[in-house]
Amino acid sequence: MIHSLFLINCSGDIFLEKHWKSVVSQSVCDYFFEAQEKAADVENVPPVISTPHHYLISIYRDKLFFVSVIQTEVPPLFVIEFLHRVADTFQDYFGECSEAAIKDNVVIVYELLEEMLDNGFPLATESNILKELIKPPTILRSVVNSITGSSNVGDTLPTGQLSNIPWRRAGVKYTNNEAYFDVIEEIDAIIDKSGSTVFAEIQGVIDACIKLSGMPDLSLSFMNPRLLDDVSFHPCIRFKRWESERVLSFIPPDGNFRLISYRVSSQNLVAIPVYVKHNISFKENSSCGRFDITIGPKQNMGKTIEGITVTVHMPKVVLNMNLTATQGSYTFDPVTKVLTWDVGKITPQKLPSLKGLVNLQSGAPKPEENPSLNIQFKIQQLAISGLKVNRLDMYGEKYKPFKGVKYITKAGKFQVRT
Amino acid sequence: MPYLGSEDIVKELKKALCNPHIQADRPRYRNVIQRVIRHMTQGVDVSSVFMDMVKASATVDIVQKKLVYLYMCTYAPLKPDLALLAINTLCKDCSDPNPMVRGLALRSMCSLRMPGVQEYIQQPILNGLRDKASYVRRVAVLGCAKMYNLHGDSEVDGTLVNELYSLLRDQDPIVVVNCLRALEEILKHEGGVVINKPIAHHLLNRMPDLDHWGQAEVLGFLLRYQPRSEEELFAILNLLDSSLQSSSPAVVMAATKLFLVLAKEFPHVQTDVLVRVKGPLLTACSSESRELCFAALCHVRRILRSLPGHFSSHYKKFFCSYSEPHYIKLQKVEVLCELVNDENVQQVLDELRDYCTDVSADLAQAAIFAIGGIARTYTDQCVQILTELLVLRQEHITSAVVQTFRNLVWLCPQCTEAVCQALPGCEENIQDSEGKQALIWLLGVHGEIIPNAPYVLEDFVENVKAETFPAVKMELLTALLRLFLSRPAECQDMLGRLLYYCLEEEKDMAVRDRGLFYYRLLLTGIDEVKRILCSPKSDPSLGLLEDQAERPVNSWVSEFNTLVPMYSKACWAAISSSQVSEPHGPEPSGNGVLSASGSLVLENKEELQPLCDSGSFLLVPNGQLTAEQFEKTWLSLEVAHQEVLPWQGVAHPDTIQTALQVVNIQAIALSKAGVQPWKAYFSAQDGAGCLFLTELLLDPEPSQVHLSVKQSQAKAEALNSFISVLKTVIGTIVGIKS
Repeated sequence: MIHSLFLINCSGDIFLEKHWKSVVSQSVCDYFFEAQEKAADVENVPPVISTPHHYLISIYRDKLFFVSVIQTEVPPLFVIEFLHRVADTFQDYFGECSEAAIKDNVVIVYELLEEMLDNGFPLATESNILKELIKPPTILRSVVNSITGSSNVGDTLPTGQLSNIPWRRAGVKYTNNEAYFDVIEEIDAIIDKSGSTVFAEIQGVIDACIKLSGMPDLSLSFMNPRLLDDVSFHPCIRFKRWESERVLSFIPPDGNFRLISYRVSSQNLVAIPVYVKHNISFKENSSCGRFDITIGPKQNMGKTIEGITVTVHMPKVVLNMNLTATQGSYTFDPVTKVLTWDVGKITPQKLPSLKGLVNLQSGAPKPEENPSLNIQFKIQQLAISGLKVNRLDMYGEKYKPFKGVKYITKAGKFQVRT
Repeated sequence: MPYLGSEDIVKELKKALCNPHIQADRPRYRNVIQRVIRHMTQGVDVSSVFMDMVKASATVDIVQKKLVYLYMCTYAPLKPDLALLAINTLCKDCSDPNPMVRGLALRSMCSLRMPGVQEYIQQPILNGLRDKASYVRRVAVLGCAKMYNLHGDSEVDGTLVNELYSLLRDQDPIVVVNCLRALEEILKHEGGVVINKPIAHHLLNRMPDLDHWGQAEVLGFLLRYQPRSEEELFAILNLLDSSLQSSSPAVVMAATKLFLVLAKEFPHVQTDVLVRVKGPLLTACSSESRELCFAALCHVRRILRSLPGHFSSHYKKFFCSYSEPHYIKLQKVEVLCELVNDENVQQVLDELRDYCTDVSADLAQAAIFAIGGIARTYTDQCVQILTELLVLRQEHITSAVVQTFRNLVWLCPQCTEAVCQALPGCEENIQDSEGKQALIWLLGVHGEIIPNAPYVLEDFVENVKAETFPAVKMELLTALLRLFLSRPAECQDMLGRLLYYCLEEEKDMAVRDRGLFYYRLLLTGIDEVKRILCSPKSDPSLGLLEDQAERPVNSWVSEFNTLVPMYSKACWAAISSSQVSEPHGPEPSGNGVLSASGSLVLENKEELQPLCDSGSFLLVPNGQLTAEQFEKTWLSLEVAHQEVLPWQGVAHPDTIQTALQVVNIQAIALSKAGVQPWKAYFSAQDGAGCLFLTELLLDPEPSQVHLSVKQSQAKAEALNSFISVLKTVIGTIVGIKS
């Protein structure tokens, strides 16, 4: 299925390659570079490129391209998903998926790729199974290893596949039995000039961290399960039970995993927690313009909005910006024309604003359109859709676990047009 | 890339590897080996330390073993003689008590990729298939496929295949999936692994145990199974129902395809399935991963072909956001254009209007063309938006708008007047060839209602010497001649100048020829010119023919969840056929000739197969058949098929001829419009050289058309395909008329 994998950085160096079925020469990547040249922006390379003998399916993650070489017809989503899984695994192992991290741990990377794919087919991709096969590097362990000479490879086989339930290994033991759930919601929205919502939607996930001994059988119920529009489940969830009773019933995998992901798309349910007042204008035939934005809370359900950052891609003719911020700090990169304003949190008494003058290239025509504002924010202890966990019950084991639920709302692709 | 001083590095490494002190100190020894691997991955040729590395593989340290195996797999093809020495160690490791070591050794041995290794790996693989650790069995099963690939074209080993089929019942789910994968590769010349009823049911029962990669692949294999009865079919669909809700998009897509294929007889089930995957697809469309998003969008476009209104209520999902890459924005614009209905048309147009001023010229033009597409149904609104865009005086915008206008005027004649009012002034902002051609065409054809048309064309004539595109010059010639017919007084002088220039100074042969042709045409008299140049100014039927009505789901389902929606089919066919003709590795010299010829036959079979089963019946343009030849052939053949189809109204020879031309059916002779009885003769040829001769006879009274087809070679399948093509086209024409 996957013949070879090349990792390429943003400046176009192939810094790692791995072949499974037969060795494919690096020159196949020339087609990729050609496509990169054609696309005005390096990142705008289409995910599927055809070459005379192969197809190249690539993904772009954290400034790296994962380019896979395909020789037979394949389901594209399968390969794309797998490549993302590879990147996720690197992230999981090294804390970041960057060129430096991969180069530092090149040996582990090869070991991982060897275990994840055999003959081009996905083999072991679950992070907890991989971690039993190949131990992740830690500073402590590398010190210990160098003293004792022990290896970073488990010398026992992963037991995960030996139990009857493929996602859980047998004989798990913890002294503190804990089950934590994080309800994370992201708001994707486009707000138009006048402040009305063009499009808004919530993408939610429930991530779980389960450290329970034995074979616990959990059931999680919600106060308002009908909110969830389109839900996809971890394979451990009993689908029939959800369909009939709207209860999540499952034997959990050990450790961290994503329990469900869902979508709330009916627009009246999506609250927009911030508003932006903006006034950006460029005068005709003059080399300056005005820039003035103010951010305020709206429908925030009484919680504090924090971690706000505003990013604006200014038009090319903008030379520099002279602004004053009432709160936080701003930077303007005159090369990429990106304005970043790190606001922090909103206090309703004094709304943060950023205003001042924009210097334009003299003689250039006034920009066609105003820039869009991309906004990031975070709200702790609130699921903006109103989703609430009702209770968590455990069957099958005697002990009493420690349970916890955390809610957090973030901005996804949150964009305000001006 | 050879690094500076790489020789020194290799020398130093070699020295370190040989040093007995280091060899005794395990961490240090492993460190040196890690350095070798690191240099290997950076492209330094460290193959000269092969011997020392082989020695290093005799250790109890698994990491060290792994690293050495990795090294061996990389350099074995370069040093086959030395690699044979390593095989001994590997064989020994294959019977190690630790299953992990056994698996590792077996996997490395199968990946050595050097000639002659087969004879050594056969026994360990067979042992591995019966190993008690599932980890080893997984490796061994895939090892079978690798061994087969090394053999190249040898006979398929029947006992091994049987063994693999029986391992489909293995306890370990990954062994099961690996068996399918291995069998698929080994039996690829025989059409892959066979899924019969017991296997299919077994796989269905194991589905819940598999990881989602396995699920996705098993769903793909199940496509080959054809349920015997309706009950069985619905039982299968019920069993797989939860796959449609999986968290993995790959599983969802594979399940969707399986459902669509299995339910090909039940269109309402297919529609149901598409309604159910709407949610997951929309989620994928707004996924964090832009590649997933792109793939999902491509599939949404496929689905829209059959169910045009399917995503209309979710049109806002397809609004572009600023940070998305271009390829996604372009797909979204295309999707938006197809989602338009009475309720959302205003919002969609407002949104598209915003994109028209985007920084990226490509996106701006795509948005303008999309508005042009919508304009076929909502003409007035769109023409107004397009007209407003002209005020911006941007080159790429004006050019795209004028091109859209040209197509619109041709397809929706009612907007001609509005377009003509908008045109003056455009000429200043168009620089590219396509835009200029469109503008000149519009001025030529509708010049009589654009007051300043001759003067704009005059500017073009003045600057014709500086014009770089021959196509523009040709368009200019035609347009000016046309305008000359309606406004002779204003055009005569410059037409003369243009013709003079084309005949005397022009270097491009095509332009000069066109000029000469018009010159001679003018000499024959004005009536003749009119007869030739005054073709219809618009043809709304063409637009209807072009965007075909809803296509049945079954027409694209075989391409669902493949690369085809993201790329054209022809492209892929070219790749896979060149694949087949590639030699498979080194040939064993003994029975080379025999086996090679054997595989040739198989290859042919494989090449033919997709032609037949995918139903890709293709007519090729021949056009060389003269009327006499046609008559002779017609008389010599028997009628192969006769049919009566409904018909309405009079026949327009032009429409019919154009429509059939699109599918490569050539007209030989047609009666004039309105003649009773109306008759027409057509010929066509398929890829295999089979001729199809057709007679259409129009019966005005019950308003029917009699269809008789003759065939030069008796091939029932081709005949059926041909008739279905023919009927589709005739059906479309009748549809337009009614």
